[in-house]
Amino acid sequence: MRYGMGPEVLRDVSFHLAPGSFHFLTGPSGAGKTSLLKLMFMAQRPSRGLITMFGRDIATLPRAELPDLRRRVGVVFQEFRLLDHLTTYENVALPLRIQGRPEASYRDDVRELLAWVGLGERMQARPPTLSGGEKQRAAIARAVVAQPDLLLADEPTGNVDPEMGKRLLRLFMELNRLGTSILIATHDHALVEEAGATELMLKGGRLTIRG
Amino acid sequence: MANTPAKPASDDPAVLGEEPPRKGYAAMLSALLVETRSVMPSAGATGLSLVLVIAAMCFLASLALGAALSVSHVTSDWTRDLSGALTIEVKPTNAMTPDEQIRAVLYVLSRSEGVVSAKALGHEDMKALLEPWLGTGNVTDDLPLPHLIDVRIDATSPPDLEALAQAIVAVAPGAQLDTHRQWQDQLMSAARAAEWLAYAVLIVVAATMVAIVTFATRAGLSANREVVEVLHLTGARDRFIAAEVQRHFLHLGFRGGMIGLFLSLTAFLALALQGSNTTMFMVPMSGLRLEYYPALLFVPLAAALVSVLTARITVMRTLHRLL
Repeated sequence: MRYGMGPEVLRDVSFHLAPGSFHFLTGPSGAGKTSLLKLMFMAQRPSRGLITMFGRDIATLPRAELPDLRRRVGVVFQEFRLLDHLTTYENVALPLRIQGRPEASYRDDVRELLAWVGLGERMQARPPTLSGGEKQRAAIARAVVAQPDLLLADEPTGNVDPEMGKRLLRLFMELNRLGTSILIATHDHALVEEAGATELMLKGGRLTIRG
Repeated sequence: MANTPAKPASDDPAVLGEEPPRKGYAAMLSALLVETRSVMPSAGATGLSLVLVIAAMCFLASLALGAALSVSHVTSDWTRDLSGALTIEVKPTNAMTPDEQIRAVLYVLSRSEGVVSAKALGHEDMKALLEPWLGTGNVTDDLPLPHLIDVRIDATSPPDLEALAQAIVAVAPGAQLDTHRQWQDQLMSAARAAEWLAYAVLIVVAATMVAIVTFATRAGLSANREVVEVLHLTGARDRFIAAEVQRHFLHLGFRGGMIGLFLSLTAFLALALQGSNTTMFMVPMSGLRLEYYPALLFVPLAAALVSVLTARITVMRTLHRLL
């Protein structure tokens, strides 16, 4: 893929994520990790090549069918992208609200999840008043709350202390155990070591698979 | 998330503002007045100025609607009054005396179908008609005046006026049927013009509101592009986003409409209190007739409807271009 007329950021990248698998995506800054994730959560369409998500070719997918596919993918954005005018609780509950579920059906689950990521006391706070780590945890909670089939996370442990990093990794592994495929882009080698999962290494726009 | 890694749920019931369920009209009213929090940030200061603009538009619309209703009421009154009345003017001739002329005309009238009554105006009646123009005491007995016959006809089954006019001229040369039609036609066309003008104002106001809401919706969407993108990436359909945006505009439209309605009611009441000495387009503007006040309620509802539909259409069209 490429941005505008620029050079190709990713080329000859070919891999397959099996349902229920756990992968890390590593590589130096600027290697194209975020670009690859953007393709996978359908914020960008590939300039060439084939990307199949849940058996659908996303380059030719009609616009009206994108929402259904996106609901099966949870995303933790590198820059969090929480909605500043909503409370933490509302931010985390957003995917469920978008699915049209009544609030009574998910209120307790969302509170439970917020408590689990350590935001139980910050439910009514708005993102601008949250610390970097708190925002990150809120973003993760939002990505996992609807139990997606695939979780894409861009540096999900970049702003938290190692202790919380491990805790979040446990959340991801628990989610993986329940059937969600997970792809985590990270610089954090300790995290990769600890999880012992397959590592996709991006370098110079090319991908190598280790483990 | 029922299967989240086990951890005791934080049982903190106080945190969320849960609204008590409302039913029926109360629920509808509260939906119009109380804005539930949208996932789209409300426009804040822009919202207030938009409310004021919509209020001004609705004020104008209410005035125009009130004027249109008043004018149409008055013209229908005129039509009823004037088409029930005819005048026959009997000019003196050498062939017959005025009394003979009048008798002949009254005879023809009495035999015509559709004529309810006919009455020759006596000298006192003529004086009463002329004195406002000539001055008291100036209508002397030797002033040669035409004689007038006031004729009331059945407006539902009027006589054949042309045949009647011919019959009258045949029996009494110098007698002339005046149907008031020319006078009535001119009045009516002036009043109709005023009525159309009022409706034109309504249309212009509605079009302006569509333009303003379209502009505000677009501005709101591009200001909240980031929010829209996050919603899209979280799997929101355009419909969902449109519903959130249009709910916001429902409230803006309805609030603006209510303010405009209130202002126009004040204006009409002030006119009513001031008395009936103001006229506009020959229509006495003594405020609005009581039965037309409910019609004004239509204005804020229309304002809300117009803003909602405009916002929805704009969102759907803009989103298609956006992503």
